Amino acid sequence: MPIICLGLEGTAHSFGAGIVTSEGAVLANEWDMLKPSQGGIHPREASRHHSDLGPSIIGKALDTAGVNYKDIDLIAFSRGPGLGPCLRTTATMARTLAAKLGIPLVDVNHCVAHIEIGNLESGFNDPVTVYVSGGNTQIIAFAGGRFRTFGETLDIAIGNMLDVLGRHLGMPFPAGPMIEKAAKEGRTFHSLPYSVKGMDLSYSGMFTSAKRLFSEGVPIPDICFSVQETSFGMLAEIAERALAHTKKNELLLTGGVARNNRLTEILTGVSERHEARFHRVSPSLAGDQGAMIAWNGILQYLSGHEIKISNSHVLPKWRTDEQDIIWRGQNE
Amino acid sequence: MSNTILALGAESVIFKTRRWNQFFVLKWRKTKPYLLEEIDTLLRKTRTSKECRTLTIARELGVRTPAVYSVDLNNYSILMDFIEGTQFKLLVERLDQKQLLELCQRFGQSIAQLHQGGVVHGDPTTSNVIVDKHFHLWLIDFGLSEMNATVEMKGVDLHLIRRALETTHWDKQELMLNATIEGYIDTIGKEAEDSLSRMNEIRERGRYH
Repeated sequence: MPIICLGLEGTAHSFGAGIVTSEGAVLANEWDMLKPSQGGIHPREASRHHSDLGPSIIGKALDTAGVNYKDIDLIAFSRGPGLGPCLRTTATMARTLAAKLGIPLVDVNHCVAHIEIGNLESGFNDPVTVYVSGGNTQIIAFAGGRFRTFGETLDIAIGNMLDVLGRHLGMPFPAGPMIEKAAKEGRTFHSLPYSVKGMDLSYSGMFTSAKRLFSEGVPIPDICFSVQETSFGMLAEIAERALAHTKKNELLLTGGVARNNRLTEILTGVSERHEARFHRVSPSLAGDQGAMIAWNGILQYLSGHEIKISNSHVLPKWRTDEQDIIWRGQNE
Repeated sequence: MSNTILALGAESVIFKTRRWNQFFVLKWRKTKPYLLEEIDTLLRKTRTSKECRTLTIARELGVRTPAVYSVDLNNYSILMDFIEGTQFKLLVERLDQKQLLELCQRFGQSIAQLHQGGVVHGDPTTSNVIVDKHFHLWLIDFGLSEMNATVEMKGVDLHLIRRALETTHWDKQELMLNATIEGYIDTIGKEAEDSLSRMNEIRERGRYH
């Protein structure tokens, strides 16, 4: 009998509930994203969103999967990294369910879960992962029993940069899709600060210059085009540095910004140059959602890990490389 | 003239080539068709000229680097000395602890010599250090180097060393980082504090809090 896990994700603006079996079947993956009418995400508003909508999203996931609470064998939750209030709300729901149903609880690292659900979908075993979202911009690969961050942003995450720029240009949140659409109409490239430092990168200089282009009256499509080409070019370079450095032959693109087709096209080119296989995680599994938490919960549980409720405090700054990856063994 | 590929780097193809009865390295920054042409050309051009310039400046600062023989700014390639030796990265597991710490200290000293001269390396990993048979360190790959370095830029350089050690030499990272920093402080003295505290600050940025 396969194990059925309910995974709860709630590290930032999205709350998700996913139901996955130990055979890797995603039975349900329901989520809702808080879209602030103006400004950015306020942690307390987001946590209220999660506590208001969480129970109905969980109920919907059970309906979609066609299972009852009594069919669930395991509860997994996103323990970090993320916004404290959001993490606590989500963890409270997970603990309550585990206690009430009398089933084990597993704590999942959000970033690691993004990688492993990508591996499940792609069949990859040991990729260099480009994880790009509103809160994260990281190049991660497995080495010495851990997922290690080979490169990341030194200031703002790419998704955040696109959203804030979009807001500046008068676009609603999330701005990524509109920026992509506008960029297709762009014709003139404006040079913007290109900042790669080793395998790290920085977007703040480019962001400031892009805002200046707007105040100088440069058409929005040209700004979007220039921003995409520059920011994605930088990402491609650090991904390339990681591939050349680790000599791995799989490249995985995940996170909310993985939806961008131009980024996908550029990274496809990178993988061809390095003779690596490439996979972009499909949108329903690339953003923040519960299926990835459920799947990682299963991986951890089957290798003998669960957590006591009394030890399950959230970890807002939980680094990717702080978690022992017990289900993968020690080999690189 | 015969060419063999030594490595496919992130931004270049590295050949070992024989000319005038001697071995050289030919570093060619080949075009990347998946990038916007303007960006691709700009990167190939600036990285090639930066690398040439800094290889020479670094040597003037007392750091061993390959000498440049010629530069071709039409196809963005550099002909330089072939350094007979082994990448530091590959030596780490083979050395005894004393030798390892000695090399880390010298690595820290070399980075400090650059920083004192206002230069940052830009990609100071153990892949970009070659150890020759005399146990001398050579720094290579200066494509990301910068001049007129600020405290911030030096802090980033040191942060990148830590990053490289934690991803590539995880079981020895603390030992190696401490020895590297020791060498760095030995050379720079009290002023090293600014860059070192910036290094710690940089690590905390960009994370989702």
